[in-house]
Amino acid sequence: MTLDRVWLRVVLILGFMLAVSGSSRAGGVGFTDDEINEDDGPSYFGFVREVDGPGVADAKVTAALKDRGALVTRTDIMGVYKIPGFGKDVDPKDITISCAKDGYKETSVERRPSTDPKEPVEIECYLQKQ
Amino acid sequence: MTARTPALRLRCRLRHCAVGALAICSLWAVPAWAQTLSGSVSSVDEPVMEGVLVSAQRAGSSIIVTVVSDEHGRFRFPDGRLPPGHYTLRVRAVRYDLDGPKTVDLGPASADVAIRLRRTGDLAAQLTNTEWFMSMPGTPEQKRPLIECMSCHTFERIVRSTYNAETFVPVLKRMAQYANNTTQARVQSRLAEREVHDDLVRKLAAYLATVNLSGGPAWPYELQTLPRPKGRATHVIITEFQLPRDTIAPHDVRTDAQGNVWYSNFVENFLGELDPKTGENRDYPIPVLKPGSPMGTLDLEADADGNLWLAMMFQTGLAKFDMATKTFQIFPMQAALNDDAQQQSMVMPRSARVDGKVWTNDVARQSIMRLDLKTGKYDLIDPFKFLAGHQHGPYGMAADAQNNLYFMDFGDENIGRVDAKTGEATIYPTPTPKSRPRRTMLDEQGRLWFTEFAANKIGMFDIGTESYKEWNLPTPHTYPYDVFMDKNGQLWSGGMASDRVLRLDPQSGSAIEYLLPRPTNIRRVFVDNSTTPVTFWAGNNHGAEILRLEPLD
Repeated sequence: MTLDRVWLRVVLILGFMLAVSGSSRAGGVGFTDDEINEDDGPSYFGFVREVDGPGVADAKVTAALKDRGALVTRTDIMGVYKIPGFGKDVDPKDITISCAKDGYKETSVERRPSTDPKEPVEIECYLQKQ
Repeated sequence: MTARTPALRLRCRLRHCAVGALAICSLWAVPAWAQTLSGSVSSVDEPVMEGVLVSAQRAGSSIIVTVVSDEHGRFRFPDGRLPPGHYTLRVRAVRYDLDGPKTVDLGPASADVAIRLRRTGDLAAQLTNTEWFMSMPGTPEQKRPLIECMSCHTFERIVRSTYNAETFVPVLKRMAQYANNTTQARVQSRLAEREVHDDLVRKLAAYLATVNLSGGPAWPYELQTLPRPKGRATHVIITEFQLPRDTIAPHDVRTDAQGNVWYSNFVENFLGELDPKTGENRDYPIPVLKPGSPMGTLDLEADADGNLWLAMMFQTGLAKFDMATKTFQIFPMQAALNDDAQQQSMVMPRSARVDGKVWTNDVARQSIMRLDLKTGKYDLIDPFKFLAGHQHGPYGMAADAQNNLYFMDFGDENIGRVDAKTGEATIYPTPTPKSRPRRTMLDEQGRLWFTEFAANKIGMFDIGTESYKEWNLPTPHTYPYDVFMDKNGQLWSGGMASDRVLRLDPQSGSAIEYLLPRPTNIRRVFVDNSTTPVTFWAGNNHGAEILRLEPLD
């Protein structure tokens, strides 16, 4: 991994941790809400990119938990997606990430190794033009 | 008397028929009253005033008609809309009051009046919630909790108070225990006490004490106002139908094929019907299932047969109203789930024919429920069970042709889908965080149109491509409650803050905001596509009236 890519990952992780800490307070309905949430598991982020190519904007990213449900989001202009944390009881290994976009097929999904269970989980998804 | 021959009798009959037909035709062609009321509006500051709302109410009538002055300062009520009689006049023009004339007598001839306005001595009484939001100092985070206050009252009640940071605390704690179906005319307490966070209450109390009159007789900030309507926003006729009791709180409103208006009553156990031709109101009592619990219903939806369904709030369960027999069938909640906190605010019966299931929600458990029409039992489905423990709130609902459910997560920032066959949930976060999607409609192209209440946006979610689009509203702090796409592809929206109805063209992004004649707390909006131009309907939840808005273009 080049130094530039290491820095990019550090920036993405830090930026995403800040964004998620804000969104975990989202959706309060006044002073009766439980706005403080300590039940979050790690969040997920990564690129959807063409194999050896650029990031793919507006790709659909699905984070599925077998037999329980799924969360669907889309990549930004850089091809980056972000998914806030699932429940603390959810083992990150049980989360399956997939990506899709018209005119492409998914070729592989790569999970970056992580040792800290509280750190965001980085998962890259690769697409190939059809 | 001369005896008539059969031929003469026939001629006479034909002549009578012809005269009768002529009379009927002439009645049809010429209204009983063809006169109109027109006039001009001016003030000491502006000899020609555009965008002044002029309202006329005939003595003894429950119907108020409003038109808006044009760029020449002229207004004109449509021919035949006002029957002869003694009328009270009213105006809405921020920073001005009506000087005169305050009444007018309409006879068989047309009348033209010169309306004079004087500067108001009480600007605060004229401000909308949106204008208070604009005026009050403070950060968005400080102001955010106030969007809950609008459910029960306007901000005028807050800003005219003299509570300080300490004396505000018990007031806020008391109000937290009121049911959400509370109005000033009918305050209702919850049976199940809500948990209140003392630190959050104190933070809000401290902020409110900086924007009310606790520090002195005047507000320590300048009062800001929105401009009066201009151009196309003046091309409108607005009709208010006053309901017979102050306690009636129309929440969801819709018309039937005969043009009658049906509405849910948020604080009383009645389904309401209004005949807009006469203004006559009729109440259909809904059985009380839980005496002592707050009364009233919220969501009013039609099923595929045209029958109406109501979500019974704290009375719990669902009610089906048969439009042919005018009777209710009640689907009560089973005892195991029916505690004091139980509350159904939404119902979605649209595709119940597919599988015999009707969707609803469990507000207290932040979950979805599904009624099995055969057994009468409700299933509980937690669509967020795999997500982190954020605050959620399934709210506005729509169902596709297979009876898959789409719901708005009003507590957070998602649209959810529950598969009708598997019960599995898919969550779609909105592009804008903290958006709090509220009510929705599904159009024939498979597009969910919805309001992003806290984000001040209207959104569209395409259920085929699973992708979003968003539109910013032209006025800040509008906080849209609901949106409706009409037959022309125009969006109509309203809410609790701005006293305005928004008409937005999603293609061009251009918008018209129609100012309403008085403080108007709008919830569900409805557009009657059978008229040309279309007709907009809504209830004034705090004002005991039904509102009809007819754009002139």
